[in-house]
Amino acid sequence: MSKTLTPQEADAFGRELDAVRQQVLADLGQRDADHMREVIVLSHRAEALGRLLLHFGIDPLTFIAGAGALGLAKILENMEIGHNVMHGQYDWTSDPALDSHTYEWDIACTAADWRHSHNFEHHTYTNILGKDRDVGYGLLRICPEQRWRPRHLAQPIAAGILALNFQWGVALHDLRLDQVLSGKQSFAKFHQRARPFLAKARWQLFKDYFMFPALALGNAPRVWLGNGVANLGRNLWTWAVIFCGHFPAGVRVYTEEETRNESRGQWYARQMNGSANIEGGRLFHLLTGHLSHQIEHHLFPDLPAARYPEIAPQVREICERYGQRYTTGTFRRQLGSVIGRIARLALPN
Amino acid sequence: MFTQTLATAARRLLGTKAARRLFLDRQAEILLAELDPVWSLSETRARVVAIIDETHDTKTFVLAPNAGWQGHQAGQFTTLEVEIDGVRTRRCYSLCSAPGDRHPAITVKRAPGGQVSNWLHDELRVGDVVGLGAASGDFVLPAPLPARLLLLSGGSGVTPVMSMLRELAARDAVADVVFINYARSRADVIFRDELTQLAARHAGLRLLLCIDDGFAEARFAELVPDFAARDTFLCGPPAMMACAEKLWAGSSRLRRERFAAPVPRAAGASVQVSLIRSGKTLAISGQGSLLQQLEAAGERPGYGCRMGICHTCRCRKQSGTVENLLTGAVSSTPDEDIQLCISVPRSDLELGL
Repeated sequence: MSKTLTPQEADAFGRELDAVRQQVLADLGQRDADHMREVIVLSHRAEALGRLLLHFGIDPLTFIAGAGALGLAKILENMEIGHNVMHGQYDWTSDPALDSHTYEWDIACTAADWRHSHNFEHHTYTNILGKDRDVGYGLLRICPEQRWRPRHLAQPIAAGILALNFQWGVALHDLRLDQVLSGKQSFAKFHQRARPFLAKARWQLFKDYFMFPALALGNAPRVWLGNGVANLGRNLWTWAVIFCGHFPAGVRVYTEEETRNESRGQWYARQMNGSANIEGGRLFHLLTGHLSHQIEHHLFPDLPAARYPEIAPQVREICERYGQRYTTGTFRRQLGSVIGRIARLALPN
Repeated sequence: MFTQTLATAARRLLGTKAARRLFLDRQAEILLAELDPVWSLSETRARVVAIIDETHDTKTFVLAPNAGWQGHQAGQFTTLEVEIDGVRTRRCYSLCSAPGDRHPAITVKRAPGGQVSNWLHDELRVGDVVGLGAASGDFVLPAPLPARLLLLSGGSGVTPVMSMLRELAARDAVADVVFINYARSRADVIFRDELTQLAARHAGLRLLLCIDDGFAEARFAELVPDFAARDTFLCGPPAMMACAEKLWAGSSRLRRERFAAPVPRAAGASVQVSLIRSGKTLAISGQGSLLQQLEAAGERPGYGCRMGICHTCRCRKQSGTVENLLTGAVSSTPDEDIQLCISVPRSDLELGL
């Protein structure tokens, strides 16, 4: 458990983290822009390769390679490119292709919904019960502080269904269906929120399950299935990475009471205590969009994510000096912890 | 011509909502850039085909633009975009070539401490690719041409009027033109050889190169006694322009082009903010973030976290100086994005709101 910082300690803690942020900002340059462009080209080539293999291959081997390459392209595009660009991590480049306000990603959730529910709500009110709708997504009970309800008995199954259809879960998140059911949101407002989602969902489904299969003529069923496998792979991967970043043991939640009038340093402390890292190699970090460094991401959401591994040792050292818990572990351990928690919290405390 | 038609057709096709929803526009852009970095359907880019040393501190960059370039009128400027250490940086430069020339060109003088001009001089090579904005500006020759012209420039202010003179020469319309350029020394006169040749070829051109005597009103009136009757195009350093403007005293015959940037004010001074989209001009106090001040003035710009993390309130600053409250950085870069919630004004501003 992390130590509660006095206001003076929190200010000093905040200043040290601000200094880390400043140091990265001062060093941003060509290599950051080049990195992002390389990933974009890599994702583009993986998509082209994947589609070629699916469209023109006939054997199971090229099917697996094709679906894998397409899945890889989607993972790179959604996580390292889309998520990070939309955070404004590359706005300083002034490159319209890396512009957080106009970027649109290859996933069911609209970029506009994402910018609101994720960049603003989730990143500002991280892990505040009742304000951060990402705590269990209004569906799961992922900490003992959340009130138990009978429907939570089914949450291991619900979590599994969510994992398989994660892009749809993310896309529906900002429509706030739960608030319509509980009467907190009018149907008219819901309808207004649903319109852009429906438009985007239609095109995403059309592209992956009609246009590309149709272009493959006789190979249509293979392409249809390949696109499905690629989307499924991306769903499972993003689900695992995101759940491991916020819900394993060691991560805590806050009440609105606790966070009233919080200072910048206290905000930093909450971000740190509300996130968890996953250990791994360079490729692993890239494939998670560097969300394996969820702690650094939550402290500095608009610094280019590829810089997180560099500053992680410094952040960890500051953290330990101020008695703050820096939650980290292997992918297997964090995933095990998340799954165990979902199962345990299906029952009342 | 053919490539332009093709590019227009492709742009129209990929500009459709369906194509954007299917990410075809983005895919096409990545593919084109991989084939040749100058190719693009969304941006006007140009390859540097020649670099000419004009004086010891001035170079001309001759550009071969892609199909997106729509040409220019003599006297107009373009917004050059180059990537300097990962940051796309823009500066306005007058085009010095005549509209009919095969390649457009800009002439750049090294500004002491100037980030872009020095980078262009030191780093830009033949074969490199730069971005170009559409030519704009109303510092252009009127149609029909005035009977008597005076093209008056100082230093690198010669570039837009050089474009005019080249245009007149190309149209064989140098009827009665006085061309005056003020420079520090003979070696500092940009386009000296070409100007001398033009003066030898065109009897209607009177060329006056004023070396090292600054702009003095009496001397000038002696040189061009009929200046008040001439349609005049003036471009030069601020001091010279201020001096010359006094002579014309608001006459509509005088047209001006300015190269200078706004001067930052002290923290907390009140400033004028022009909102370009809504066409409003607000006087704000200069205390607190721009977001707070715009709200206090009755504006409702979009925002989220109000602490500089979510980028919802980001907006385009077309001109002016702001200070970033998080980093303390003061920036006067034109056409840059700022976050309203962590920016404070340090000069009059133009915002894309």
